[in-house]
Amino acid sequence: MKNTAPTSPVVPAARSLHLERLSGWRKAKDSLANLVISAGGMGVLMAILLIFFYLFYEIMPLFKSAHIQPQSSYELSAVDSSDSLFLAMEEQAEVALMLNRAGQAQFFNAATGASVHQAQLPLTAAVTSWALNSEQQPLQALGMANGQVLLAQPKYRISYPDDQRVITPSIEYPFGEQPLVIADAPLTKVAVRDTEEQLLIVAVAKGKLTGRLFNKEEDFLSEELTLEEQPFTIPEVDIVPQWLLLGPDQRWLYVVSQDGAYRVINIRDEAVAASGRLLERGQLTQVRFLLGGISLLAADNRGEISQWFMVREDGKLPRLEKIRAFKASDSAIEQLVVEHRRKGFITINQQQQLDVFYTTSGRQLLSEPVIGAAISDIAVAPRANRVLSRDTNGQFSYWQLENEHPEVSWSVLWQKVWYESYQEPDYIWQSSASNNDFEPKYSFTPLAFGTLKAAFYAMLLATPLAIGGAIYTAYFMTPAVRRKVKPLIELMEALPTVILGFLAGLWLAPFFERNLPGVFAIFMLFPLGILLFGYLWSQLPSRIRLAVPDGWHAILLIPVVIAITWACIASSGLLELWFFHGDMRAWLTHDLGISFDQRNAMVVGVAMGFAVVPTIFSITEDAVFSVPKSLSYGSLALGATPWQTLVGVVIPTASPGIFSALMIGMGRAVGETMIVLMATGNTPIMDANIFEGMRTLAANIAVEIGETEVDSSHFRVLFLAAFVLFMFTFVVNTIAEIVRQRLRKKYGSL
Amino acid sequence: MKAQALSLDKMGRTHREMSLANEETSLEVNDLNLFYEGGKQALYDINLTIPKQRVTAFIGPSGCGKSTLLRCFNRMNDLVDGCQINGEIKLDGHNIYDRVVDVASLRRRIGMVFQKPNPFPKSIYENVAYGLRIQGINKARVLDEVVEKSLRQAALWDEVKDRLHDSALGMSGGQQQRLVIARTIAVEPEVLLLDEPASALDPISTLKIEELINELKSKYTIVIVTHNMQQAARVSDYTAFLYMGKLIEYDTTDTLFTNPSKKQTEDYITGRYG
Repeated sequence: MKNTAPTSPVVPAARSLHLERLSGWRKAKDSLANLVISAGGMGVLMAILLIFFYLFYEIMPLFKSAHIQPQSSYELSAVDSSDSLFLAMEEQAEVALMLNRAGQAQFFNAATGASVHQAQLPLTAAVTSWALNSEQQPLQALGMANGQVLLAQPKYRISYPDDQRVITPSIEYPFGEQPLVIADAPLTKVAVRDTEEQLLIVAVAKGKLTGRLFNKEEDFLSEELTLEEQPFTIPEVDIVPQWLLLGPDQRWLYVVSQDGAYRVINIRDEAVAASGRLLERGQLTQVRFLLGGISLLAADNRGEISQWFMVREDGKLPRLEKIRAFKASDSAIEQLVVEHRRKGFITINQQQQLDVFYTTSGRQLLSEPVIGAAISDIAVAPRANRVLSRDTNGQFSYWQLENEHPEVSWSVLWQKVWYESYQEPDYIWQSSASNNDFEPKYSFTPLAFGTLKAAFYAMLLATPLAIGGAIYTAYFMTPAVRRKVKPLIELMEALPTVILGFLAGLWLAPFFERNLPGVFAIFMLFPLGILLFGYLWSQLPSRIRLAVPDGWHAILLIPVVIAITWACIASSGLLELWFFHGDMRAWLTHDLGISFDQRNAMVVGVAMGFAVVPTIFSITEDAVFSVPKSLSYGSLALGATPWQTLVGVVIPTASPGIFSALMIGMGRAVGETMIVLMATGNTPIMDANIFEGMRTLAANIAVEIGETEVDSSHFRVLFLAAFVLFMFTFVVNTIAEIVRQRLRKKYGSL
Repeated sequence: MKAQALSLDKMGRTHREMSLANEETSLEVNDLNLFYEGGKQALYDINLTIPKQRVTAFIGPSGCGKSTLLRCFNRMNDLVDGCQINGEIKLDGHNIYDRVVDVASLRRRIGMVFQKPNPFPKSIYENVAYGLRIQGINKARVLDEVVEKSLRQAALWDEVKDRLHDSALGMSGGQQQRLVIARTIAVEPEVLLLDEPASALDPISTLKIEELINELKSKYTIVIVTHNMQQAARVSDYTAFLYMGKLIEYDTTDTLFTNPSKKQTEDYITGRYG
């Protein structure tokens, strides 16, 4: 402490002792204050750092790559696995199923290989082809040499005897153990698609496409299923079918040949809807549906996996479009499995490299060489946390896969992404949907846009009002009025924003909708009316003008403001009738092509502007008021008018404070939650239109955090949104502080 | 004293001739009463005339109303809330408290320098040019000329000519005060009101300001409020002594300091109170 009292040598000994004791006490107080203040300051810093680190801790897993670890390895002795058709695991990744060409279904413990259950499928001839309905509903179609198809489905029943989970697998035949007859020749290819109402089987026999469509009818009492055939024909295709894929809505049949040519057949129209090539050179090695059956994944012998789906543009024929491609190496892709719940997939190439990809985010999450013999089969558990593989030596390997959050990448968050079933790449926020195979869309762009849009319209209203009001209050208003006005406006800040939001959503929004022309008239006539009144006032004889003491003129405007408001609202109907054929909403929509939401940016601008005004007002008022009187007196004494003094001296001197006020108001508007939550409609669209709503980052967090699963990707993405908001405020405030310091250096040191 | 004598010699006058009756009047105060908020009276029936192109000093103890009286001359008291003024002050025969008077143009004619230097947070150049700019004069040539002239008159030119565009806030207190004087005389007022212009300054700066006042009185009518009686004696031609809001005595400086007619004046100048 430098500021200890200097002890003077002339002080007598007794007094100096007393002083010393006093200075000791003072020192103690001083250091105590020092300690408390430092602790408080450090506490604040720590709290901010903790928030920062907590957010960081929550979002870090989003950007981690995947890990894979071998768990166990074994051989299956009970059954021949060399000619397997299908390998899969159930939900818990505890029981695995291997189905071979001989029709043997072997259920075994996925971790140890111990047999759990064995079944023999009632085949009537040799299996010539095999198909899977979908990963989630693993109905299998086994095409046989006699032209028949057997439909079988593994089922797992879970029971808890003695509080132990026991999984009892079985093979069921939902359409009976009797195979369905499709053709009278061996079925070289088969595809199946089962829906609530219909069962569709398409196959290739003698090089030609053939198929049967059945309507399913369930008996009420016996719950017995009867199939009733609905005749249809499949058009001829001019390529050699290597892969047959049936879309989930039984509408599209994708026929792909080995060399990459494809034909898309519209089953309902019984016509070829699109044709082309999936690749120009080379050979395809695998073609599969991605989860949901909308996208095709085509892997080729040069290591590329491409994603394709049907794009329908207005007035154009639908076409199969290449959306994105993945490439880990130049080596041919041998195996391709898709995840059951997400839009991810795993490949194994010729060089025994295992790669994990995710389509939406375009990420390659893992690339790991697999040691041992070539892998012949691979399966991924429904939860995508386990992988089971079989190599050509019959050795099974059980892997643990850690791949929690593959959905998020920089491009997903901030760039246009071409989502499934969309016509073109776009910025979309849609975190959930009613079905499970939906592709989550986590684009922050519309949210950030909405945040800035709401803040922009709020600031558009608040800035002139608050700054104008503050300057008037601080500089022109008579102290008697100022003493009442300032606390009153500051009191507005204490109004809970939930009330503002409530009023904005339930009263202001419908009011604006009903009186749209009137509201617009207010916005236009307000400044005009006030200026006109000011002009008329200045034209009055000085006798009347001088009767009003300086600083009280604002009171004169109150009746003017009320009159303009009343006149505008009262004439709203008439204005609507004269200018907009009686309905401004319809006029906007039909004549201008501007869509109108009841809860729109204008409502938010007014409501949030109202919330931001006190903040800006209060700080600006303080800044203007604290400009030393000596400066304005100096200017006035030079013969400057009050206005010249204001513009020439007071505002430049107060500019750092005014700037901070705007930045703090901006920060408030960006972070505001309740008002935008209740008054915007929360539609995450990107449109600067004042008549449409928006969804802001803050409101989005408030809306969705309650319904998301803890530690899911969605949950972490919401934390990321909070982090973005935090960083935004941080950056804006830092810039504001730097600018303020520079302004202060220029105008300060008074 | 010597400087004053010299200047008087130049004007061709002697001490004996110097009297209010012989002077041209610049400002005339008639029956001025001033009340602050709450009816507190600060000035009582002030009557005096300020002679043209002379230095008139107001002296008196703190709170006697000398600064209040000074601020009446350019109506700065209008800015004080609840301040009420009765009586009249005439500038060249016209009452400045008349309703038709434009306060801004009045203040252009009666400039004022305050106790604490108050340069604007602008460059030195812009500070001096400010008074012209608010009158709508923005021609660079005119401004350059006036700035140089004013700074020369304020004896500041040589010190600042190389840094005209630096911030005025970087100057010393004495320089700042001279800059404020330069700023005030740039608009060529008729009367210069100085409200304790040197009280916040060191002795050397004070001396410079006093020399400046002597220089300026050939062109301007100067009214100075000061605490410092030696300063009043050094720079002024006439001195008014105020006490408790009343004008006690008003005479030539020589007379007032050497031969005061009132006991209160004598008590004050001999240091019995103040």
